[in-house]
Amino acid sequence: MKTARMTNRRKFLLAAGLGGAGAAAALVTATTKTQGNQGEAPAVDKASGYRVTEHIEKYYKTTKV
Amino acid sequence: MNAVATPVTIHRALAAEESARADFYALLGRLFQDAPDNALLHLLSSAEPIPAEGDPRLAKAWQELVDASSAMDADAALEEYEALFGGVGKAAVSLYAGFYAGAAAVDHPRVRIRADLAGLGLAPRDDSPEPEDHFGGIFDAMRVLVGGGAGRGPATVQEQRRFFESHLQPAMGGFLRTLAAANGANYYRKVAALAAAFLAIETESFDLD
Repeated sequence: MKTARMTNRRKFLLAAGLGGAGAAAALVTATTKTQGNQGEAPAVDKASGYRVTEHIEKYYKTTKV
Repeated sequence: MNAVATPVTIHRALAAEESARADFYALLGRLFQDAPDNALLHLLSSAEPIPAEGDPRLAKAWQELVDASSAMDADAALEEYEALFGGVGKAAVSLYAGFYAGAAAVDHPRVRIRADLAGLGLAPRDDSPEPEDHFGGIFDAMRVLVGGGAGRGPATVQEQRRFFESHLQPAMGGFLRTLAAANGANYYRKVAALAAAFLAIETESFDLD
């Protein structure tokens, strides 16, 4: 049951090109995580892995001209 | 000998298409959280194309973002980001799902998202500066549900689907249309097109048995 279900979905995702897109997007992701978390380690919830953005804080910083 | 001191994280290897999904969510979440910096723009500008025999809309949107990334620098990207999303309470384009999903105060999307995140072991910190219905956070939550992270494995496809249909789907159409049509959206018009193409695939794939 489960395998049949996965198979249709999988076929569809692979046909959409998502398998091939992996390499490109993964490269982006690898850097993104490093970049995005730089200097904002306290915003990362270690227990959950749910990353909290600080863009509002950054926004205030960037508007202080 | 102390062989057990290292924390062990168990990750089943993700199938290629599942890690690609997690990567798309990661990238989109990152781009909604903040403007791309030069390192990210550089990476994107040199990224491989998506095979043309795949979803043509996704392949085209990806290529256009790749091209736009090579013509963009971090300063210009930040300027565009601020013009579109900045201005608390009067942003040209709201980054909050509640804005598009029709938010009633008692049952505001962020209240339900908070509850669902907690149920999935993804409760954000109490001192989070960001309401839960920020698209950066919703995309990032999907990233973790699809790819796992921080010690938890991927969620089941049913769980992913439920979160997607509860929190992303009701808001994403309005958000991406608004973003694509916004004055001053140039780079982010490409981001919106990529998000729309990817999320259309997601929507369809969740319907498959």
